[in-house]
Amino acid sequence: MDPEAPSSHFSNCTHCGFCLAVCPTYKLTGDENNSPRGRLRLWSEEAAGRLPRDKWTDFYTEECVGCLACETACPATVPYGQIFERIRHDHVTTGRSHPGPVLRLAAALVTAPFWFNLALLPARLLRRCGLAWPPLLFPGRPPLLQSSAAYAAELMRLRNPTGPRVALLTGCLMEAMFREINFATIRVLIENNVRVVIPEHQGCCGAFQEHTGLGDAAALGARNRKAFGSVEVDAIVCNSSGCGYALGKSLAPDRPVRDVLAFLGDLGPVRRQREPTDATRVYVDLPCHLVHGQKSPGIPAAVLDATGYRWELAPNARDCCGSGGVYNLQKPENARAILAGKAAFLNEAEGAPVVLATSNHVCMMQWNSAGKSGLVKRPYEVRHVIQLLDPGECFGRGSGPA
Amino acid sequence: MNDLDVRLRALLPRGRVLTSPAQLAAYGADGLGYKNYRPDAVVLPADAAELAAFMRGAKRLAVPLVMRGAGTSLSGGPVAAQGGVIVHTSALKAVPVINAHGFWCEVESGVTLNDLDAILKPHGVFYPPDPSSGPVCTLGGNVASNAGGAHCFRYGVTSNYVLGVEAVLLDGSVHRFGGPAGGRGPWREDWKRFMIGSEGTLAAFTRFWLRLLPLPEKVWTFRATYPDLTTTEAAIHALVADPSYPAAIEMLDPRGVAMVESSQMACGLPEGSFLLLVEIDGPAPLVDGRVPHVAELLRRAGSTDVTFSEEALIRQKLWKARKAAGGLLGQLSPSYVVQDAVIPKRALAEVLRLVYDEADAAGIRVVNVFHAGDGNLHPNFLFDSRVPGELEKVERISKHLMERVIAVGGTLSGEHGIGNDKSGYMPLVFGPDSMRLQLAVPAAFNPTHQMNPLKVFDDRRFGS
Ligand SMILES: Cc1cc2nc3c(=O)[nH]c(=O)nc-3n(C[C@H](O)[C@H](O)[C@H](O)COP(=O)(O)OP(=O)(O)OC[C@H]3O[C@@H](n4cnc5c(N)ncnc54)[C@H](O)[C@@H]3O)c2cc1C
Ligand code: SF4
Ligand code: SF4
Repeated sequence: MDPEAPSSHFSNCTHCGFCLAVCPTYKLTGDENNSPRGRLRLWSEEAAGRLPRDKWTDFYTEECVGCLACETACPATVPYGQIFERIRHDHVTTGRSHPGPVLRLAAALVTAPFWFNLALLPARLLRRCGLAWPPLLFPGRPPLLQSSAAYAAELMRLRNPTGPRVALLTGCLMEAMFREINFATIRVLIENNVRVVIPEHQGCCGAFQEHTGLGDAAALGARNRKAFGSVEVDAIVCNSSGCGYALGKSLAPDRPVRDVLAFLGDLGPVRRQREPTDATRVYVDLPCHLVHGQKSPGIPAAVLDATGYRWELAPNARDCCGSGGVYNLQKPENARAILAGKAAFLNEAEGAPVVLATSNHVCMMQWNSAGKSGLVKRPYEVRHVIQLLDPGECFGRGSGPA
Repeated sequence: MNDLDVRLRALLPRGRVLTSPAQLAAYGADGLGYKNYRPDAVVLPADAAELAAFMRGAKRLAVPLVMRGAGTSLSGGPVAAQGGVIVHTSALKAVPVINAHGFWCEVESGVTLNDLDAILKPHGVFYPPDPSSGPVCTLGGNVASNAGGAHCFRYGVTSNYVLGVEAVLLDGSVHRFGGPAGGRGPWREDWKRFMIGSEGTLAAFTRFWLRLLPLPEKVWTFRATYPDLTTTEAAIHALVADPSYPAAIEMLDPRGVAMVESSQMACGLPEGSFLLLVEIDGPAPLVDGRVPHVAELLRRAGSTDVTFSEEALIRQKLWKARKAAGGLLGQLSPSYVVQDAVIPKRALAEVLRLVYDEADAAGIRVVNVFHAGDGNLHPNFLFDSRVPGELEKVERISKHLMERVIAVGGTLSGEHGIGNDKSGYMPLVFGPDSMRLQLAVPAAFNPTHQMNPLKVFDDRRFGS
């Protein structure tokens, strides 16, 4: 770790404590070490040589969900996320933190999209057949063999849209496991007269590396700078808030990255018509990496209105659901406790069916687990907001046409 | 595990005990982040009952005990200045009773102010004291430091709203000083005024009974800028004496305005101006009728730039510069000291002059925020604690400031408390007789000064 830079960052923290109130792990434990102000203090004390390396510093570092709510709350604009990423990476490389073998394997695989896609083919198949059992895997019907790039090219040929041009990041897990969301995104964009380009040689956005401290996020960033750097488009868009945040950091300051829903909000998307008797109610949760990472005001009302459904924000929509990228794999008990507080409302929520919609696939996985793990005792469906704009979407049989 | 660790664990079978160096570091400071006092241990009682049980055995630990809420104190209150054990109340978060018809509620001491607000709102009632640390500070900290806020000009400070305090003494005895019915009936000793503002030196608070008010039907916010201090003062004096009785009168000085305007929070305020923010509230027909009058008053005093609104979003914008000021301090400098002097309003010009002259001479940046209605001045001195000599400069200016404040008939602290940051100034205000009597109070509750030693009085040391 660079001894100079972090300590100058840490010292920006005036110790006002405003970040305590929003931190999920502080709310859970009431232990100030487990808060943003506390973690910053542990790291700065260690960097300044006033605190020896200690297993508790490692513990409290691993406890952080990485939700970045503290950045939004901080009046002194302390760049917590940047500091945290650096510390986490440092802890992993120096053996203070030990991500499990599955995460290590995944970290290696996501850098090679072809092999990652192949490795997850059986999982895609199981999801498609409705046989996916792990609580995180939400139902859906991912296309098996056709890639998002091939689908976009085919649909572009058929529909020939003439509007603005966008480059879409297809992502690693998104493409390998939840490809139906990419397909829905492409359909919705093209239906809205948007020309979709899927730049070749793009790779993982680096969020996985940032979440785990494994691998070389900078190398992935360089690859994407090459893939997206020179494409001639009106916007670079992402359909997952976490990937959008990570790609945005890689391409900054030259190429801004937009959330696809914000982009559609500006266009004013085609509105879906629903039957007057349709009693669907959509509860919208806002991913941390959208509101705290990308500092976006949320998902545009114009987009949510265009779904044609009655919608409202889920209670505490800006609070973390506990997903935190891979936090729910690394700290399942904390993740479940954080989710418990958020998801309880679904038990009483009105609507038939009740839909929980968000804009990040890892949050969708976390929300899906609320039902399978018994936190929510009534049926509900989890969707990406873009799927609610998809002409093919309909409830009760997975997630739209392939 | 050391001996203290073992004994603490025996006292807290359900709660948590922290003793590793890396579990204590985060508890070294309060809102004055540059001052560090590492405690020997931190305990987190699981609930109020466990806190009471802990207090029963705590005397025998023979180490100082320091109560801590959210640790946002700006005076060195919740820190272990003489070592010992910090008792963190973060688990005491229940709000067992809301009696909207009787206009009172019962809350535990670890509840945060904004959480209480949110819980009360659907009942159409509110708890008026509003320190700007509201998102995070706890009622325990508020009561122990008698917190105030922007709206205390009309509504009064914490002490005006505490009906009763449940306090656990060092012998483990649980006392209810006052209660929802004041000091009557089963609520025996009405000594709550001893407890309010006691800064953790008397007892551990576990719960409070608080007085509530009906939510105001309508609120109007006014923002005016003034070219100089004379016109600003004219406006403040007129407002204070005006029958429209504003709820809040807040001021930001030109250096504060310049700080806001050169930041990403800029809102187009004229260069070199003083900013006044005024709020009136109450029943709609009454307040609506007063709006033209207040606007006229602000203009007559010398403002050509008066904006006002009743709409929540616009009101938020009007408050923006004032609210942003606190955060911007943190963006400008790694450390700041905020003084909390209360002065007669007529002395504002004189005291501000001293602050500017001394700070400029020492090369220290300063921004003044003023709860103008109450005469509560907050000069914020921005400095870098890593640069040798800077803190000393700030302390020297602060001392001169305090001497002048006393000379003009003011006092040390309006709302932040004394802690160990301002304890050195106590003899400036109080003579030996008064100091002796004041010291007798904590001595009556804990004769060895085990509770929060070295606070409020410099020589109030545990064990001596
Ligand atoms: C950015 C910022 C803005 C602020 N604005 C204001 C403002 O507008 N008005 C204002 O009045 N203050 C303000 N403050 C100061 C501070 O927030 C208040 O003093 C607040 O009341 C402290 O609450 P806390 O929960 O953080 O208490 P702490 O800081 O933890 O403790 C404060 C004192 O209370 C004692 N204490 C805490 N809990 C208990 C308990 N359960 N039993 C007995 N003693 C206890 C502690 O020992 C300590 O002496 C501000 C602080 C910051 C950082
Ligand atoms: S990122 Fe989230 S979990 Fe981590 S310190 Fe900040 S608020 Fe807490
Ligand atoms: S809100 Fe920002 S400045 Fe305040 S304690 Fe947290 S990180 Fe530090």
